[in-house]
Amino acid sequence: MEEALQQLKGDALADLDVLKNADDIEQFRIKYFGRKSPFSGLMRELGKVAKDDRPRLGQLANSIKKDLQDLFDEKRRSLVAAHSGDGDGVDLSLPGRTQANGKLHPVTQIMEEVCGIFEGLGFTVAEGPDIETDFYNFEALNIPPHHPARDMHDTFYVDDSILLRTHTSPMQARVMETQEPPLKVIAPGKVYRCDSDITHTPMFHQVEGFLVDKKVSFADLKGVLSVFIAKMFDDSIPIRFRPSFFPFTEPSAEVDIGCVMCGSKGCRVCKQTGWLEILGAGMIDPEVFKKVNYDPDVYSGFAFGLGIERIAMLKYGINDIRLYYENDLRFLRQF
Amino acid sequence: MKFTVDWLKQYIDFDYIPQDLADRLTMAGLEVDAVTELFTDLKDVKIAKILSANPHPDADRLQVCEVEVGDEVKTIVCGAPNARAGLVTAVALPGCVLPGNFKIKKGKIRGQVSEGMLCSTKELQLADDADGIIELEDGLVSGTSFNEAMGLADTLIEVDLTPNRPDCASVIGTAREVAGMCGAKLKHPVDPGQLPELTASDAFSVQVVDDVLCPRYVARRMTGVTVAPSPWWLQKRLLGVGLRPINNVVDATNFVMYEYGQPMHGFDLGKLAGQKIIVRPAQEGETITTLDGGERELNPSMLVIADAKKAVAVAGVMGGSNSEIDDATTEILLESACFNAVSVRKTARNLNIGTDASYRFERGVDPELAPIAMQRLVAILEDISGGTVDAGGIDLASGVSDPGEYSLRVGRTNEILGTSLSLEAMRDYLLGIEMTVREIDGDTLGVTPPSFRIDIEREADLVEEIARLFGYNEVGTTLPVVPMSFASQDPKRILKKKVTDVLISQSCYEAINYSFVSPLHADYLGLPEDHEWRKQVALLNPLTEEQSVMRCSLLPGLLENVRRNINHQNTDIRLFETGKVFRPKASGQQPAEELRLAVVLSGKRFGHATPLYFGQDSLDIFDAKGIAQSVLSELRLEQVVEVIGDQGEAYNGSQHIRLEADGALVGTVSHFNPECLKRFGIKQDVYYVDLSLDVLVSLTGSAKQFTSLPKYPSVQRDIAIVVAKSVASADVVALIRERKEKNMQSVELFDVYEGEMLLKGLNLWRYLLPTGLRNKH
Repeated sequence: MEEALQQLKGDALADLDVLKNADDIEQFRIKYFGRKSPFSGLMRELGKVAKDDRPRLGQLANSIKKDLQDLFDEKRRSLVAAHSGDGDGVDLSLPGRTQANGKLHPVTQIMEEVCGIFEGLGFTVAEGPDIETDFYNFEALNIPPHHPARDMHDTFYVDDSILLRTHTSPMQARVMETQEPPLKVIAPGKVYRCDSDITHTPMFHQVEGFLVDKKVSFADLKGVLSVFIAKMFDDSIPIRFRPSFFPFTEPSAEVDIGCVMCGSKGCRVCKQTGWLEILGAGMIDPEVFKKVNYDPDVYSGFAFGLGIERIAMLKYGINDIRLYYENDLRFLRQF
Repeated sequence: MKFTVDWLKQYIDFDYIPQDLADRLTMAGLEVDAVTELFTDLKDVKIAKILSANPHPDADRLQVCEVEVGDEVKTIVCGAPNARAGLVTAVALPGCVLPGNFKIKKGKIRGQVSEGMLCSTKELQLADDADGIIELEDGLVSGTSFNEAMGLADTLIEVDLTPNRPDCASVIGTAREVAGMCGAKLKHPVDPGQLPELTASDAFSVQVVDDVLCPRYVARRMTGVTVAPSPWWLQKRLLGVGLRPINNVVDATNFVMYEYGQPMHGFDLGKLAGQKIIVRPAQEGETITTLDGGERELNPSMLVIADAKKAVAVAGVMGGSNSEIDDATTEILLESACFNAVSVRKTARNLNIGTDASYRFERGVDPELAPIAMQRLVAILEDISGGTVDAGGIDLASGVSDPGEYSLRVGRTNEILGTSLSLEAMRDYLLGIEMTVREIDGDTLGVTPPSFRIDIEREADLVEEIARLFGYNEVGTTLPVVPMSFASQDPKRILKKKVTDVLISQSCYEAINYSFVSPLHADYLGLPEDHEWRKQVALLNPLTEEQSVMRCSLLPGLLENVRRNINHQNTDIRLFETGKVFRPKASGQQPAEELRLAVVLSGKRFGHATPLYFGQDSLDIFDAKGIAQSVLSELRLEQVVEVIGDQGEAYNGSQHIRLEADGALVGTVSHFNPECLKRFGIKQDVYYVDLSLDVLVSLTGSAKQFTSLPKYPSVQRDIAIVVAKSVASADVVALIRERKEKNMQSVELFDVYEGEMLLKGLNLWRYLLPTGLRNKH
């Protein structure tokens, strides 16, 4: 009996070794674990052996069967894994069954990324009207009528005092007028300039941001924008600040980053300078505070603005701004 | 502002290469727009000397010239009457490409070989027209490069000057900045300490009516002037910055304007009635023909320079042709004045003229500059025109006020910049840019800017100067310490995000269209004349007719996108846009803005899905309705009901569903009729959803509330109802729901049968009603 069991084990292990495919596995299963398996026969014969030997032989039979079952399961798993390519006759290289998601416009994606970084820094989002008054768009920002700075804004007018906002900066005055510091606000939105050529569309998107409290400094402005640029582009990207002019900030700065197209080596995009202008910024001008009845000797703050299309161009390598508003699916699917 | 490197070196010694100079200027706040090598298209032109010029045997007007070009002698046929033996001129030999991509080849002219071309100033694009070939100085060596011989090789630098730096709208102003960088001393052409006293003139008089509009007016007379072409050094400077030389008097005024930033003007004194200058507002209805030939209508808001009878110039903008200097002029009156910035700007805008003079006056011109620039101008003109300046002259300066003193608080400055500079450090920075500085107390400096820094008018301006001189990149980097607070989020922004998430998951792509559209969209939509979308917010100054009115609806823009995509073989389209639409209010008021969402669907239902597994059916109204339902369900707005059966708008087809909440219109699910689509250039069906996000945001969604899960398996009851086709499915569902069958969990329509087995006009609807006990807590 014991010999017969050992013999069976030996045969089974030999058979197990040569299993190759699903058919072999099934035959093995029927042969050794089916109703007519040799185990069944041996178990029936167990009744005939001496009573004293019965428990030991029974245990032996069970343990052999269990070991065999484990080895078989393992073999089966490894064979299935090895033969996954044919998947039982199913071509698993066929495409998955899916209804693809749509996508946000690249401008929205970048806008959300920008807002997300500033929201992470504790800024809140405020949106204002696209059609603004001359007061909020210009006068509240220290740009009186007949100021040459108006030349920097090619303005679409609806009537004498109503216009399409040329920047999202009017939100500075709109928010400060109704709230007290501390303020940490970003204002994303569409802006309009009557200028249309290879590098300008008459409508584009900006994000304005400002922070006002006691003792806010130019160094703070540099700190916040450096964090933003590191998150938006790359921790190692070079940044420089250089003097510029905006009527509503003083000092005013343009912020350049090392050209992402050529790695600061100089190319067509950066006009061979190795730098790309991406942000305008500065300390909020005391005149702007006076218009909203903040005491400029008590409060200080900084403001900045950036163009979304330009950042999308740099991040995604888009080389023609007209593509943004044609809404060609071949374009929209890429982002 | 433009200048050339060679010109700049006239006033300051430096050894930066042009690109380096440009970088330094940019970092100093004078942003360089372009650095251009000048006259590179003349690099192959050579100096030549005509050895002999003989008539062409077969042409009356041509000459055959033997021309020395270095060691070689070339035969060149020339049509210029001034070609003559001994003349030094310029030649373009075969292979040379002249401006305008004009390639020179060896050829035969009327049978005579010609090995190149002798050039006129016009062909070299140094003048607009020319009488003959260029006549150069005898001393030039033939065969040398024209650019080199003429000193033309130079680099043009264009600065995008910000409005706060009018002091740099000149070559000397820029040189002053460079002096600050490299420490070299500025070489002034005129010593401001050696100016003549200009108290009176016997020959003419000047009257300034309003010294606010004209703070200073300096005038001098020159006699014995010969108007002629300028010497080459002067022409070269003007050509370098893109100005065309005209004659010595005009060229000298332009030169001094670029050099000092002081606009200058010369009048033909003989043409001034009464030997008199009056600076006065224009009279109503007065006209003047300006030097550009334009007939200008003036009004009293504009300042003019007049003689005893008439306006002879628009002050600070442009001279009049009635007093223009011409070849016969011998007596001239020179003007160097300072005009009010706002007044010049308004006048230039009203007349729609922008000149180099108005550009400078609008930004502000240093009033101390007028007599200095005048001194420079007369010195040049005495040199190049043979004229003599009167000893006397007039300088009316009653409108000039002394520059004020501004205090600079050291502590506040450090607080704003985040620096810790000492009072001494700040004082030294300011002294370095020619400010007068005194210490008021331990924390305060009294600062008087030099007259050319007319942009400095308050402490903040001084703070900026300190930051600029210390260096923006030297200031540290810190993060602000601001108290924490929670400002509530804009509910519209949250709504927009939720809705766009649903649409993205429904395979829709986001579109962004211009907010301004064509007024023709109203016609394309077939809107009746009294439709509210016909009342549009129009732009006063649109770029094009297609972008001239603010949109009333998102749909036309999306239809344009559909057409565009179909034209590019993308016929399966699911696009959406969230954006504002605009409606006019009373005049003088900001128009109303409403945030809306529109989705357009066209083509195949599963155009976006793996084609292997999904059918090729076309979309229909239920795809649009499904999207609307997904949006409303995500927002949990169960109060929104469908209203079926109204006509819709002129652009709709017959399938039209209104979505309402408490009687208010939330939006529409519909499709466009074929006539409308045809007007938009579309030949396939387009379904759409159009929702007001402003209305949606005003609605309150149901709260999320847990219901216990059924303890026992539910039973599926399958009921079949035969109804007349006129009965709406929704009514049947409502009826089932109304019965409030015990333990019924939901009603789901799962089959519709209409066929032979049924009488005509009947439908069989099959509903699944899962029914089961809910667990009790």
